[in-house]
Amino acid sequence: MKTIKRKLIWGFAGLALIAASCGEDFVTASPEGEFFEDNYYQNEEQAFSGLVAVYDVLRKNSSGFENMITMMNAGSDDFFAGGGGPSDGAGIHGFDDFTIDPVNMPSSFYKDWYRGIARANVLLLKMPQANMSDAARARFTAEARVLRSFYYFQLINMFGDVPFITEPVLTADLFNIDKSPKAEIYAFIEAEMLASIADLPVMLPAPASPTVPSVEAGRLTQGSARAILGKIYLYQNKWSEAAAQFAEVNGTPGGTSQYGYKLVENFASLWSVSNKWNSESILEVSHTNLSNAGWGNWGSGSDEGNSVNQMVGPRGYNRPDNSTAPSFISGWSFNPVAPELYNAYAPNDPRRDISILNIAALGNQAGYAPGDQDTGFFLRKFMPLTSETSTGGGNTELNYRQNTYWIRLADTYLMEAEAILNGGGDISRAQALLDAVRIRVGLAPVEVSQAAIANERRLELAGEGFRFFDLVRTGRTDLLTPFGFQSGKNEVLPLPFNDIANTPIQQNNNY
Amino acid sequence: MKFKKVLFFCISALLFSFIGHAQNISITGKVTDETGLPVPGTTVLVKGTQTASMTDIDGNYQISAPSNATLVYSFIGYQTLELAVNGKTRVDAKIQSSSENLEEVVVVGYGTQKKSVVTGAISQVKGEALEGQPVTRIEQTLQGRTSGVYVAANAGQPGSPATVRVRGMTTLNNNDPLYVVDGILVDAGAVQFLNQADIESVEVLKDASASVYGTQSAAGVILITTKKGKSGKLTVSYNGFAGFSDETRRVGVLNATQYATLINERDTNDGGPIRYADPAAFGRGTDWQDVIFQNASRQSHDINISGGTDNSKFYGSFSLLDQEGIVLPSISRYQRKTIRLNSEHKLGKYVTIGQTATYSNEKNLGVGNTNSEFGGPLSSALNLDPLTPLIETDPAITGAYPYTGENGIFRDRSGNPYGISPIVTNEMSNPLAYQESRRGGYGYADNLMGNVYLEIAPMDGLKFRTTAVGKLAYYGSQSFTPEYYFNNGAPGNNDVNNISRVASKNFYWQIENTLTYTKRIDAHNFAVLLGQGSYVREGEQTQTTTYRNLPVDNWQEASFGFQVPEADRTTYANTGADNKITSVFGRLTYDFNERYLVQAFIRRDGSTNFGENNKFGNFPSLSLGWVPSKESFWPENNIVTQLKFRASWGVAGNDRIAPFRYASLVNQGFNYTIGGAVVTGSTITRPANPDLKWEETTKRNVAADITMFRDLTLSLDLWKHKTTGILQDLQLPGHSGLDNPLANLGEVSNTGFDIELGYRKKLGDFTIGLNGNISFMKNKVESISEGLDFYGIGGVQSMPGDILRVEVGQPFGYFYGYKHLGIFQNQAQVDAYVNAEGNPIQPNARPGDFIWQDTDGNGAISADDRTKLGKSLPDYTYGFTFNIEYKNFDFNMMAQGAAGNKIFNAMRRLELSEANYQSAALNRWTGEGSSNTYPRLTKTDPNENYSRPSNFYLEDGDYLRLKTMQLGYSLPKDVIGQAGMSRARIYVMAENLVTFTKYTGFDPEIGGGNSVGIDRGYYPQARSFMLGVNLTF
Repeated sequence: MKTIKRKLIWGFAGLALIAASCGEDFVTASPEGEFFEDNYYQNEEQAFSGLVAVYDVLRKNSSGFENMITMMNAGSDDFFAGGGGPSDGAGIHGFDDFTIDPVNMPSSFYKDWYRGIARANVLLLKMPQANMSDAARARFTAEARVLRSFYYFQLINMFGDVPFITEPVLTADLFNIDKSPKAEIYAFIEAEMLASIADLPVMLPAPASPTVPSVEAGRLTQGSARAILGKIYLYQNKWSEAAAQFAEVNGTPGGTSQYGYKLVENFASLWSVSNKWNSESILEVSHTNLSNAGWGNWGSGSDEGNSVNQMVGPRGYNRPDNSTAPSFISGWSFNPVAPELYNAYAPNDPRRDISILNIAALGNQAGYAPGDQDTGFFLRKFMPLTSETSTGGGNTELNYRQNTYWIRLADTYLMEAEAILNGGGDISRAQALLDAVRIRVGLAPVEVSQAAIANERRLELAGEGFRFFDLVRTGRTDLLTPFGFQSGKNEVLPLPFNDIANTPIQQNNNY
Repeated sequence: MKFKKVLFFCISALLFSFIGHAQNISITGKVTDETGLPVPGTTVLVKGTQTASMTDIDGNYQISAPSNATLVYSFIGYQTLELAVNGKTRVDAKIQSSSENLEEVVVVGYGTQKKSVVTGAISQVKGEALEGQPVTRIEQTLQGRTSGVYVAANAGQPGSPATVRVRGMTTLNNNDPLYVVDGILVDAGAVQFLNQADIESVEVLKDASASVYGTQSAAGVILITTKKGKSGKLTVSYNGFAGFSDETRRVGVLNATQYATLINERDTNDGGPIRYADPAAFGRGTDWQDVIFQNASRQSHDINISGGTDNSKFYGSFSLLDQEGIVLPSISRYQRKTIRLNSEHKLGKYVTIGQTATYSNEKNLGVGNTNSEFGGPLSSALNLDPLTPLIETDPAITGAYPYTGENGIFRDRSGNPYGISPIVTNEMSNPLAYQESRRGGYGYADNLMGNVYLEIAPMDGLKFRTTAVGKLAYYGSQSFTPEYYFNNGAPGNNDVNNISRVASKNFYWQIENTLTYTKRIDAHNFAVLLGQGSYVREGEQTQTTTYRNLPVDNWQEASFGFQVPEADRTTYANTGADNKITSVFGRLTYDFNERYLVQAFIRRDGSTNFGENNKFGNFPSLSLGWVPSKESFWPENNIVTQLKFRASWGVAGNDRIAPFRYASLVNQGFNYTIGGAVVTGSTITRPANPDLKWEETTKRNVAADITMFRDLTLSLDLWKHKTTGILQDLQLPGHSGLDNPLANLGEVSNTGFDIELGYRKKLGDFTIGLNGNISFMKNKVESISEGLDFYGIGGVQSMPGDILRVEVGQPFGYFYGYKHLGIFQNQAQVDAYVNAEGNPIQPNARPGDFIWQDTDGNGAISADDRTKLGKSLPDYTYGFTFNIEYKNFDFNMMAQGAAGNKIFNAMRRLELSEANYQSAALNRWTGEGSSNTYPRLTKTDPNENYSRPSNFYLEDGDYLRLKTMQLGYSLPKDVIGQAGMSRARIYVMAENLVTFTKYTGFDPEIGGGNSVGIDRGYYPQARSFMLGVNLTF
């Protein structure tokens, strides 16, 4: 008994001593599974991971509820907002009927680009000190600069003048930054692009077999950078500079260019999940069904699925037994197609029924629940079949794997033709470029003209999210007036209210 | 090893603790009260021994004691009396009733204090008051029984937590109070493992008295003390009850005929054709609430053993609780088992050791997805159309798509499918099909917690105490999701079955050492406390494993035993960072003759959560008291028999933020697919803030405690709490490209007035007790962050903007939206509603639409016209308990309520346009003069009557609820004595019997953390009827 007691007392005294030794060191700790910023960007592996985070923002085209494709389609004359009801997505509906204002403007269309820019800025600042090969450093640097330029280009297109930041900023200073004229930003990104192209690979390594992508599929090349630069010039009406870059990208119309680009033979195959990284793809957004995304991931950086796929299909799509209708998945009926677009195609144009589903044509072979602004026409380019749904982890809705195109060859063909026509270049080349796009789908040539090119862009690129920008930059916004477009205001979107609070930034005109 | 030895010791001490005693004489006597009536049930104890007896029904007792012994008479509600035997064989005793036992003590943190000298604002709930009460979670013990404490159940799902706010919303962040169970710091989310029958007392430290827990005490501290065992004869008690529960109220919705009629009217309003030719043919249709609400069973059993000697006491208990929920009980249930052993032993003259140890096992079946517009049984029951049958039997329908051609259709025993609504889609599901999809799923928690302590008192008044604590929790869940098809519309369906298991573990430990010295010099009483503590919450460790595509598709057979291919398995693991706190503290307590009272405390805490510049913080407090009724000038009177004034000031802290928020960290998860594979992307996420430090809450309290007419006690507390440096996201401009960093930005103040009233009187055979409390509270957000005037804390699907806001100058969480001023009754009114230019303010409006208030007066209705519409937090809360005993009968009841808050009725899912309407739609506008509150039905809604969040959706949340009512009968002692029992009581009990409210939702009592007041289909509180027994041997 006595011994036990003595041992106990010593035991407790020991505990007391342990506790008493707890001082400053005791409350110093290191994180689990995270790095302090000062300890990161030390080597090639970490620099690459930092670069991947810059690439991540490219998914804005087709990831998340707030994606570029469905938003920009809604702002065009060829599509409506749609969805379940008039209040399903205040931002997209606001852009559809141009009632959008700083409050319902979704913040992510502004902030996400700056996320990409901030990630590039910190990487570019840290990479010179990283322990890595000079070749890798040069390539990573070029990629980060091109992506950052591309993100600024998106910001200018959507908002006009925006804050211009090229290196990490102290927290307090963030509140003092004003908008910069877009001309200043254009000048910077042109220079960045020109300085970076040489450090990018001409082409990515060939795939090991035809059924797998290149191990680097998704990364930038000289060809993709030139296409971006061409587009940057085009949007500034720098016609000859644009034509020159596009010519490098396009090569001989209908042939294979120096970067290996060639129109695919079958227009439908562009939208196939098994035809990613095809010869027509210049700047492509990677999606996968392998990220196991759940609702908690949606709209963050860690969901790698295509959300346009889920959004544009008909609601409650259903087929009777033994139906001959394609087995599309049920969607949320966003971006119903204006009948005018459907009717704009020549009846023999195969692109019509590949791009648009006319659900009435299926007769009693399929049914659906009409959503908001229903027209009976759906954006078929992005409508997956039930056989293409994910069987992996996460939610089916968030794990579609169709890739989308920021830039594809038919687009650069038409952009070059437009630049030639405007800049006084070789008209026959412009004609050949337009012809190549039409011949691919079995259509007879038409004489090249601004109107012909504009019409071809509308039909070829339908629903890919470019038409609003095309209308604005070519001065055809009168087509949007019936939908509520106000000149001098709606050429750009309003800056999201919360994102400019407490700064000297003035809201865009008339918002 | 050490623990093993202690355990061995504890057990052996128990075994050797029953020792015989010396030569005695037999003593008899009678115990009476001041009026001469006998007091049955009085304990008579031979002082310094464990020999005890009890008076019979006539107040007589008999006991054997040494002739020089002292007898101690004690009975609840009476002052303890000691009488010397002095060789007499008959000793009669007259005991005095006392409304406030002078020796009553209050637990104050690192010690106890006599109630008469307490200077802090501390509410106490004693274990006796909870005996036999239907308390599933410890938070419920505070509801209605304490002033200044707001308690609202988060859901009626059994076992689900409640929202507890001690004196308002102290911060814009986590407002949960800190729980301290026998000195062990426990997070709010983890206190449900406690068995209420084990509780000796609960104290709520409401003012600066909470500062004893420094950095973690800003939102108040709730001290829970478990039973220690009493010396004396071994007692075994059993308390158990069983009963059933049902729902108290339903939400009125349209029946099938009404539904079809109103849909027709709506479509016609929108210029469309009539959809349902003959609405009356549908009859009443399906009442989906009939399907989800079912009678549920409920039972609770508790057995405890306590006893010991003066040197060695113990208390042990086992409890079992099993409660079904009233919504689909087969998938809504909570079960808990607890075991406890507490003991304390004196080792010789100077040393005391003791321990507490408890193990609990919980299993719960959750109905899932409550208070959500995204499906779940409650939301589905309100939104599904009444036209769809519960079970589809029409062969023309069951023989066609989707009943054929889709997998995952659930059927009843006869093989008929559960009806699938073709028009109300998305997450809404037939509740019976939903039920099938969740079977076999459960959550669990195993908690093992205990402490060991050693006290050494080497000289009079000096005591050293060291305590070591460990708390180990294993918790997780398992679920099976079969293939299911709920309706034509994602995300209502699941094509691939999966089985999933989540297993988590965390470990907490703390060590505290305290040295106390108490000294009395004449009328001066001093007490000094010095202490030191270390507290470590080890990072949570979690593993989640999911297997997909099992070869079976029912929960009975689903198992991880099926070794599915690698591609069908996903697994995640997670390790959290440790949180450590180190502290030193000291307290000085002084009183002069219990007349002038002073207490000063200071604590210094360091935490891993803060940056280099502010790792340590100091938390002082000071309280003073004056008892004029003890002054010589105080006139002897029978009106105010006791009066105490007290005042306190102190600073408390809040450090509950995620770790490392002071640093700029590089995180992963910004991935991109390269080469067909997902590649990890890493980047900085937010800027560093090395100055990050605690939130500080300064608490002030002035109060008076008054005893009047000896039996009536009254406490009045006036208080003001102000929190500065609230940890808020610094709202960065969008071009930062980063997430917002935390900074010490916000300020919130709370002022309030608490009244507690107590009355206890014995009148002949009657004993009456009445306690009441009411708390008025005013909350104001003083600032949020520079340049940020407000932010949203709650919105509703399909309605633009936030509905619940935190805004400078306003109370926390007020409703914000458009204000309608009634309904346009005719076109003339629409045309007359013009702006300064003479243009119509609402050009799209038609008769029957809302008149929107043009708040900003700019002549048009836009987002700028939104305005303040009401508060989500009540102005005052109140509660009262009443009990009465008469002979062998006893009765008690408790009621509580809240008033002054609004509830946003968001139960109808707006963008599902065919969703059923609530009954209020029957009073819609149908023509001039028909309604001024419910607009015309429309789907296209050009005037945005429905899609704008407005006062249309707000309802008064005031309620008064009869929470519990209990009637008991104790069998006569002479009857049960033969069975060896000292007490046998049977009782009937009802919980939530009646609720008075105008609110039309399921339940006006809605918690839900900081974002309260938006009702998307709360799981309502059940009404229960129970029958129980208490037995003591």
